[in-house]
Amino acid sequence: MPEPKALSVSQFVDALNIVFADKVFPDGVTIEAEVAEYRVSQGKWIWFLLKDENAVVSCFATAWQLRQPLEDGMKVRVHGLPKIYAKSGKFSVTVERVEMVGEGALKRAFELMRKKLEADGLFAPERKRPIPRFPERVGLIASTESAAYSDFLRILGNRWGGVKIAAAHVQVQGKDAVRDIVGAFAYFNAHPELAEVIVLTRGGGALEDLHAFNSEEVARAVFASKVPVVVGVGHERDETLADYVADVRASTPSNAAERLTPDRRDVARELESCVQTMERALEKEIASRAHRLTDLEHQLQAHVRAARAEFDAVMSDLERCLLGFESRVRTLSGAVERDERLLRSFDPAAVLRRGYAIVRDKDGKVLRAAASVDTGAAIAVQLAEGTLDAEVTARR
Amino acid sequence: MTAKEAKKANFAEAFKELEGIVQWFEASEVDLEEGLKKFERGLELARKCRSRLAEVENKVAEIKEKFSDYADGGEAPPEDEDEGQPRLI
Repeated sequence: MPEPKALSVSQFVDALNIVFADKVFPDGVTIEAEVAEYRVSQGKWIWFLLKDENAVVSCFATAWQLRQPLEDGMKVRVHGLPKIYAKSGKFSVTVERVEMVGEGALKRAFELMRKKLEADGLFAPERKRPIPRFPERVGLIASTESAAYSDFLRILGNRWGGVKIAAAHVQVQGKDAVRDIVGAFAYFNAHPELAEVIVLTRGGGALEDLHAFNSEEVARAVFASKVPVVVGVGHERDETLADYVADVRASTPSNAAERLTPDRRDVARELESCVQTMERALEKEIASRAHRLTDLEHQLQAHVRAARAEFDAVMSDLERCLLGFESRVRTLSGAVERDERLLRSFDPAAVLRRGYAIVRDKDGKVLRAAASVDTGAAIAVQLAEGTLDAEVTARR
Repeated sequence: MTAKEAKKANFAEAFKELEGIVQWFEASEVDLEEGLKKFERGLELARKCRSRLAEVENKVAEIKEKFSDYADGGEAPPEDEDEGQPRLI
């Protein structure tokens, strides 16, 4: 048997790697074991061991490829390619995918991922965005064959109408689920005219079935979406990491419909109450105006009454004055009558009527003494009726 | 945009305007002249909104796309995996 030809180390390592890749494990290798000595260097390179009672194998992954943080003691199933690294001569499995084995590992993985995403601020309440109050265009990411899909549409139809729904059919479990869902988010973000809000939903399932909704990729797609996201996954009690990242977290697919739109009956009631509020405010204003008017009327009446009283007072004063004046007039006219009578008694005409006469000289001067005229002088004798012109014939 | 779509798009606006008017009524001394004008506008908006409530159907259109094609374009993987190889383990 001839001695084999000497190979360079590079040739030897290359040859082994080719044999592993092409002949021994053409589909890669799947190993189920416990994790040990898990560590991450520079935030980029991940190293851990897979071990059982008798053997140990080294595993390597980039942080980009292995998103799920692991922990020593976790039971996992690793898919990868066995390889000898030329530079170190070290044999390890380059990890493509890690699945958790058993409920315990799944729960632990969930918890580790939750902590990682929380530390990165994906669940921060202050980045939650409001969804439109009355959405008109909705992007729905779901399996169109699922009960979740039909439940969501049924409840939505019960509550609200006129919504345009763009449905993106995706796998919600299995190996394509993460890529489908992440792709659907990218699609809706690239077509903003289709959706002003995105709903991601699926029905309940075991923790294993909900894997995609607990994956970092989907969580980051929800987080990065420029369109706000409602997530409703599983039953009431299920929680997924996508729920935590969502802008609006719904407990079930039906609840997602409830959180998405109002109920038309509630809105009808609200409209009714709007109209009532306006009516009441107007009625109140009208009533208060009527009240003010009544007040004014009363004030006016009071003014009129006051003016009237003043007028009455003046009138009665006036009346009193008039009465006083009258009695004074009466008194005065009595006095006048008396004086008139007295005056009349002095009237010379009355004396003349009794037979007396008044004798005047030619100048009209009344004669009281015979000596005051000469004999022969002309005199006038005034009687009660008429006057005699006479001549003095003698004086005695 | 069709007339019907325009009507739909206005629902949120109409509702918001109506709520604004109601707030005005609730907040301040109501001036009767202004109030009557606003009341009339409010009734019109309420009527508009009610007619929108009568719409019962939602339209569903399924997108015919392979979404996994859109999934790429995230972070690129590190260029050289060997960089990460430890010197010794």
